Amino acid sequence: MIAIATEQLSKTYVSGFRGKRRVQALHDLTLSVESGEIFSLLGPNGAGKTTAIKILLSLTRQTEGSATLLGHDVSSPRARAKVGFLPENHRYPGYLTGQQVLRSFGALSGISGVHLRSRAAMLLELVGMKEWGRVKVKRYSKGMMQRLGLAQAMVNDPDVLFLDEPTDGVDPVGRAEIRDVLRDLKTRGKTIFLNSHLLSEVELVSDRVAILDKGRLLKVGTVDELTATGERYHVGLADGLTQAFRTEASAKVMAFVEERNGLVVDVASIPELNAVIDLLRRHGIQIASVTKERSTLEESFLSLIKREVAP
Amino acid sequence: MKLLALVRMTLRELAAKATIIILAAISTIVLLGLALAVSTSVTQEGTILQLFGQQATPPMPQEELVTAIRSMQAGLAGGLFTGIILFGIFATAGVVPDALEKGTVDLYLSKPIARWELLLGKYLGAVVAIFANVIYFVLGAWVIFGLKCHLWDARILLSAVTITFMFACLYAVVTFLAVVTRNTPISIILVYLYLFIIGSVLQNREGSLYLISENTAFRAVVDGIYYLLPQLSAMRDNGARQLMAQEMDWRPFVQSFLSSALFFFGGAVVLKRRDF
Ligand SMILES: Nc1ncnc2c1ncn2[C@@H]1O[C@H](COP(=O)(O)OP(=O)(O)O)[C@@H](O)[C@H]1O
Ligand SMILES: [Mg+2]
Repeated sequence: MIAIATEQLSKTYVSGFRGKRRVQALHDLTLSVESGEIFSLLGPNGAGKTTAIKILLSLTRQTEGSATLLGHDVSSPRARAKVGFLPENHRYPGYLTGQQVLRSFGALSGISGVHLRSRAAMLLELVGMKEWGRVKVKRYSKGMMQRLGLAQAMVNDPDVLFLDEPTDGVDPVGRAEIRDVLRDLKTRGKTIFLNSHLLSEVELVSDRVAILDKGRLLKVGTVDELTATGERYHVGLADGLTQAFRTEASAKVMAFVEERNGLVVDVASIPELNAVIDLLRRHGIQIASVTKERSTLEESFLSLIKREVAP
Repeated sequence: MKLLALVRMTLRELAAKATIIILAAISTIVLLGLALAVSTSVTQEGTILQLFGQQATPPMPQEELVTAIRSMQAGLAGGLFTGIILFGIFATAGVVPDALEKGTVDLYLSKPIARWELLLGKYLGAVVAIFANVIYFVLGAWVIFGLKCHLWDARILLSAVTITFMFACLYAVVTFLAVVTRNTPISIILVYLYLFIIGSVLQNREGSLYLISENTAFRAVVDGIYYLLPQLSAMRDNGARQLMAQEMDWRPFVQSFLSSALFFFGGAVVLKRRDF
């Protein structure tokens, strides 16, 4: 069964004086997530990952395209009945205790009474915050807030869980614990949609990974597919790339990194390499050399991501 | 159920803030003062109304005394109205902007509630908090007048409803401003501007705005704006009449109800279209 599906989702943010500033955050994003899957959206900051989640939760409306969540159009509140969300920069009222946060937000999901109380206690224990349930959240550290956020996202026993950078600000031990929670959820048949800018955070838990960059989907596949196969070539160019080439190449989902004297191309096969060369030639770009490099696709998307993250 | 949960969360939020506590504290101080101040004493010529043990009125027959007490109650209710409008708005204006803040709105809206429901829950939470304060004050005043002046007049209890109603009308405007500006200080400034300046200029439009032009279209627009906004002063005057057991005009209440529904609806529409 399909838990999450998007169809040619595009989003342009319009802001500034009389809508002068426009940012295209998503570009024809089409993907589907099977229920029971851990699916990760991986990409540098500003890639559009948060925007994708926000559209799925109807926090933001898409400019074009459509999306469904558990079979309901995302614009309907019913789509969110069995959904949990850990936002990127969540803030809980500082005057509430951890327990009160879980109970208050649980009530907004429509659960109540004894069931809600026992569930809140159970979740606090699950995320390793049992002793902190009666402490006001204004005294929590970033990592503890993140754990509480994860518990909050699970309070209504959701079928689909959206986690936006869940390990942000969490120490390595906590990260491992969060991964354990995610694996446990998966064994119970939950669907998890994870956003991260760190490959190391997703490769250990994800069934499938989608790589997003500048709002475009570059690749989707299992971690194995994305990391094990493929080869890297350096294509030396006489002159630079043209914008027309860039546009067409990203529309064709070609993964490449521009370098000073050419571009680094990651391909799964020789025909794929030749497709890139054909495209370069069709745009009248002079090729000076083609060299095979040793590295794998894993390094390629690490570099793809580092390129953006590095200060 | 979810709406109730939202109202409860809002009440808790307000209880955690100093402002609503201060409001309750001020009510208590005023009530204590009132309890110390008023009393009646019966003489042969009639009943005397006393303030702080001093004779405040000549001896009066019973009906006159009732009228005197009622006008005192009307004055008190007027003071309560002013206090609630000024301080109550100040105490509750942050409710909607806080709920729409980044990091908070994400949590609310990811729940299976519609945006208008979120807005309604927040709105009702603030109104209920103010109602609790008003009813506390009014019940206290009722008991004090009953015990000390032997007038158990349920009319003053009704003023809790009218004052809360007036607050609710104004708070619909605040909610609209809060959704549009997402900024508490700006919403407060705008609504005070309306209360102190725009509102009275519009109410006295015959002596002010009408003088600008004799053009009927212009005057129709001015009238339109006046009737589009809740008529607080007209409601206040009629509320006082009700306390004095005089005939009152319900039209400002009906009109203000419609106007505030319109403001709330406008806020909900703006909220529905917003990207977070
Ligand atoms: N509300 C907004 N208004 C204008 N631009 C926005 C808004 N939210 C995000 N953006 C822009 O959209 C792009 C994608 O942002 P985002 O989805 O947050 O990326 P990510 O989560 O991958 O870091 C960025 O360029 C960001 O500046
Ligand atoms: Mg993000």
